[in-house]
Amino acid sequence: MTVRPAELDAPLVARPRTATEPGVGARGRRFLSRAAAPVLIHAFLVAMVIFALFPIFFVLQAAFRPGQSLYSLSLSLWPDHPTWDNFTYIWTQQPFPTWLRNSLAIAIGTMICGLIGSATGAYAIARFRFAGKKITLITLLAIQAFPSVLALIPIYIILKTVGLVGSPFGLMLAYVAGALVFSTWNLKGYFDTIPRELDEAALIDGCTVTQAFVRIILPLSLPALAVTALLMFLTSWNEWVMAQTLLLNEDAYTVPVGLWGLASNYRIPWGYFAAGSLIVSIPVMVLFLGLQRYFRSGLTVGGVKG
Amino acid sequence: MIIGVSLISLFPIIYNVYISFTNQNLYHFRHYSIVGLVNYGKLFKGLDADFFIVLARTFLFVGVCIPLFLIVGMLTALAVNHPSVRWKPFWRVALIVPWAVPTYITALVWKFFFNGEFGTLNQLYRVVAGPQAGLPWLTDPNWAFGSVVLANVWMSYPFFMVVILGALQSIPSDMYEAAAVDGAGAWRKFWRITVPLLRPAILPATILSAIVTFNVLNTAYLITQGGPFSSAAKPGATDFVMVYAFRNAFLLFNYSYIAAFAVVIFFLLFTVTMGSLRFTGLIQEDAR
Repeated sequence: MTVRPAELDAPLVARPRTATEPGVGARGRRFLSRAAAPVLIHAFLVAMVIFALFPIFFVLQAAFRPGQSLYSLSLSLWPDHPTWDNFTYIWTQQPFPTWLRNSLAIAIGTMICGLIGSATGAYAIARFRFAGKKITLITLLAIQAFPSVLALIPIYIILKTVGLVGSPFGLMLAYVAGALVFSTWNLKGYFDTIPRELDEAALIDGCTVTQAFVRIILPLSLPALAVTALLMFLTSWNEWVMAQTLLLNEDAYTVPVGLWGLASNYRIPWGYFAAGSLIVSIPVMVLFLGLQRYFRSGLTVGGVKG
Repeated sequence: MIIGVSLISLFPIIYNVYISFTNQNLYHFRHYSIVGLVNYGKLFKGLDADFFIVLARTFLFVGVCIPLFLIVGMLTALAVNHPSVRWKPFWRVALIVPWAVPTYITALVWKFFFNGEFGTLNQLYRVVAGPQAGLPWLTDPNWAFGSVVLANVWMSYPFFMVVILGALQSIPSDMYEAAAVDGAGAWRKFWRITVPLLRPAILPATILSAIVTFNVLNTAYLITQGGPFSSAAKPGATDFVMVYAFRNAFLLFNYSYIAAFAVVIFFLLFTVTMGSLRFTGLIQEDAR
């Protein structure tokens, strides 16, 4: 195709053509498709957003729908008489506040233990040469490749042997073990980007290694520490399989286990589950959507590494 | 410290290998004995052994899901990134939402949608096909497989959208202008500029996502519990590797059998992980 002067002037802007211009066949069609493209793209986006948001909207309307009416056979988009009944019910008639407190305690415990373990471990890998470093790195990768569901069997048997099955503390230990590997890799990647000269200067000025770590490295890595900590918190907060297996009585349940109990029984109105889901997922969604701009670099690279 | 990290996380794996050589299950919990390779023999006892059925089905699942994630993620990313689209941040955030909601919640929502009687999808279908109609979303083996794929695509495309969107924004726009001057159409620009430049971002994301999809548990188990089952002794239509392992370990209590299963699956996954790291060149950087 040869380029004509008219197109060189404004190659990206379609110029209206008249039927007398040469090349109306193919070019006329291209112009049409160019004019239609924004409309089609917006239509596609609207369709995709409906697909993406409809399940969320469904939970929202179900949470405000009274009683059993979700099991009716008629379609209605929004309840005729929206109520807060489902929320008051799970808050007062179900141990939902207890589940919430358990989830929060376990998630915060996992976050703190995981952060201490992974930050110190990552610092050691990033800064020191020691015998078996390569083996350690490969072992970490190997552990990461071992799916947590399969690790659940030995974890279950170990915890049962030491009498920690059913205890939130045992569950927290399992979460910490799972969180450490990914977090260590993630933080090691970040520590690598901090110039070595900084801690060397601190060491020359008389800092101990621990001081250099606490005073120089940690303050410089606050953003990475924050993101890693939040990811550990979210992972623990959202975890269902391990909690379902390792927690035995209702007082120790975390929110996912409790909600699964509410949703899997068709005699219990589904609205209770919807109301509970809304309460736990709104903070998570806000956190997640706030964090999402870090994901491209942090999660994909760290995730593949780990 | 690093040794501590390795020990806490490594010990269950080593212990798992040990269990796989015993006959530990619910009836022999405290008083089990070493039985050697019996569990491994059970895994590989023939081509129609559960292990191969489950593995093949999981590969099929990954093979169906990954292209769909890629297509939907690519289309949404291209659409959001198109110069004529307004309110880009709005579309971006709205389309990421499925990723932000905990999977155990969305899996249960989809389970409700697929319900034969009250499920939203069949209610919509009845509007078109009459009051008695209904599609076997979770009761027919093939439909159940498709239903889990659908729910999984809904949950997973935002990851690809975010990765592709990030990579798209780093492609300089003068490349497209130069191509336009040289007379390339939109199709050609896509295949000759966009796709090659997206490859470094898409490849690791695809490998990671394939591993995650291979390990699917929540989505499948919460929606179908591995079913529908044709007989009690055979794996169900959505009995993917982790679903099968979870069911057998914690509903049927065959600890040692699943421990052996875990060892085999682990070698498979570890090989894939190491291979993909070498492939994407990440290991050289880390193992200096």
